[in-house]
Amino acid sequence: MKKQDELFRFLEYSPENAERIGYSDYSYWKSVWQNFLKRKSAVFMAIVFIALVIFSYVALAIAKYDYANLRIDASLSFISPNSEYWFGTDNLGQDYWCQVWYAAQISIKLALIVVLGECAIGIIIGCVWGYVRQLDRFFTELYNIINNIPTLIYMTIISMLIGQSFATMAISMISIGWLRMARNVRNLVMVYRDREYNLASRCLGTPIWRILTKNILPYLVSVIILRLATSIPQTIGLESTLSYLGLGLGVDTPSLGILLRNSRATFMQYPYLLVFPAAIVSTITVTFYLVGNAFSDAADPRNHV
Amino acid sequence: MLKYTIKRLLQSLFTVFLIASIIFILMRMLPVENYFTEDEAMNLTEEQQQDILEAAGLLDPLPVQLLDFYKDTLKLDFGTSRRIQKGALVVDVIGDKFTVSMRNGATALCIALVLGVLLGVGQTLNKEGIIDHFGTAFTIFVNSVPTIVSFALIMVFGSKVLGLPTLYSSRKVMMSSIMPIFCLSLGSIAGYALWTRRYMVDELNKDYIKLAKIKGLSRGKIMLKHVLKNAFVPLTQYLPAAFLSTIGGSMLCETFFSVPGMGPLLTTGVTKYDISVVQTLSILYASLGVLGAFLGDVLMIIFDPRISLLTKEESR
Repeated sequence: MKKQDELFRFLEYSPENAERIGYSDYSYWKSVWQNFLKRKSAVFMAIVFIALVIFSYVALAIAKYDYANLRIDASLSFISPNSEYWFGTDNLGQDYWCQVWYAAQISIKLALIVVLGECAIGIIIGCVWGYVRQLDRFFTELYNIINNIPTLIYMTIISMLIGQSFATMAISMISIGWLRMARNVRNLVMVYRDREYNLASRCLGTPIWRILTKNILPYLVSVIILRLATSIPQTIGLESTLSYLGLGLGVDTPSLGILLRNSRATFMQYPYLLVFPAAIVSTITVTFYLVGNAFSDAADPRNHV
Repeated sequence: MLKYTIKRLLQSLFTVFLIASIIFILMRMLPVENYFTEDEAMNLTEEQQQDILEAAGLLDPLPVQLLDFYKDTLKLDFGTSRRIQKGALVVDVIGDKFTVSMRNGATALCIALVLGVLLGVGQTLNKEGIIDHFGTAFTIFVNSVPTIVSFALIMVFGSKVLGLPTLYSSRKVMMSSIMPIFCLSLGSIAGYALWTRRYMVDELNKDYIKLAKIKGLSRGKIMLKHVLKNAFVPLTQYLPAAFLSTIGGSMLCETFFSVPGMGPLLTTGVTKYDISVVQTLSILYASLGVLGAFLGDVLMIIFDPRISLLTKEESR
């Protein structure tokens, strides 16, 4: 225990300091950032994530083989990792290093596009759904219908009707994924819609879009970020599942699911075919998940000083 | 209550009807050439193909086909499978497979419920301790690592270290079901643990728990009789839906371990243009989903008599 007089000491009265205490320079995003930086583990994870993304480009640049001119050569198949083939070769004798990093890039790109699209559509429709009472029934019914038809059936029908490509995949995933986000936003909008300050705002004649963007949306930021953080791993997972089942990307576009599908019969004998892509993609998803959670905590105004 | 039930059931019926119609129309949007296998497309002449399509009623205008579909469904005639098991009644095709899916799914659900709730309780009792950190790490792992990667890891571990068979076989049902069941339960264990912990921690901070402590009730009694019981109520809402959805099986798990279940049936049906199978399955899944949500609400009322659906409906 320290003595009382070590803990406290008297200060001279200074008008400047008094002024400084009285003035608050609170800024929402600044506090979010400061709160986030306080979590050392999350900052570390963020660095790992960004480093991996940057390295996926570096890795392709320094690779000895270019993804575009890979040749099938059965005599080179199943070479364990060595100085020539850093991640070994697959069953067709193609360099695995460039395939793995290319696949990681594809997965991240797709996930980012899909999640941003989902967010944009989900937030807009969620706000309208929650705010306009007359539309609630319509959207709820729409939600019930879309939600009760298995996702796989949409994916199969879309892949059969339009074909399999990166753009089709992104659009079809967005066209289903916005629903969860919209539902989430709608529930929150309903909570805040009839608070007294919004009532007052409406009486003063504030237009709806202003009430939504200025009065309600700021409360949703942390929830939206949390949704984003969980959505990215989910999207990467869904994409790899679909590709594994042959419903996602085409066979010639490498992604985690395609790599695992190609090595399905052989990764028991040659575990490196599983370990490298799995480790990289899992690191990406786990770090993003943790960073997103930490950032969402930091974005919650209740945690601000 | 009765009035509410009837109203709700009618609404559900309407939802199922809409879903079935939408799937029907979507299936008709697929190119009709898929109706034939490659062999048939090669061997049959254009005219023969047209005749077959005509006989199957696939060339009629869409409203006529839709009406025929409603009539057949009302008569509970779900048609015959065309490509998956040629000529077999759809009901039989599904009947063979759903027992396998449901047995695996229900076992996995029971395991997940017991382990998940136990882990959640353990985490709450040992808050900020080893069990809690382990549980959190486990939840993060399951939620963020792609499912297919964890399946592959389990497969490699299970077969290399434990010597379990990697493919399902009907001769060794017990042994070859272990890994699929474990894979199925993994995600739910994490889910139940997460929510049990969350609800229990919320409950622990309430005033009546403080009163119970002051009265001198033992910790075990408080945890079991008060905290867990109340924390379990929100979980019960999703139990019937989870149980019913086991009938549908899991596409990924069953493909991965070659389990002859319901999971892959739907997509195979779509790709092979086996219309009657797809339609029956979509009606089945939609009804199960709607029924599950309804039973969930009922179960929640039984567990917690304070909840009433009627007031909830009015306050909206």
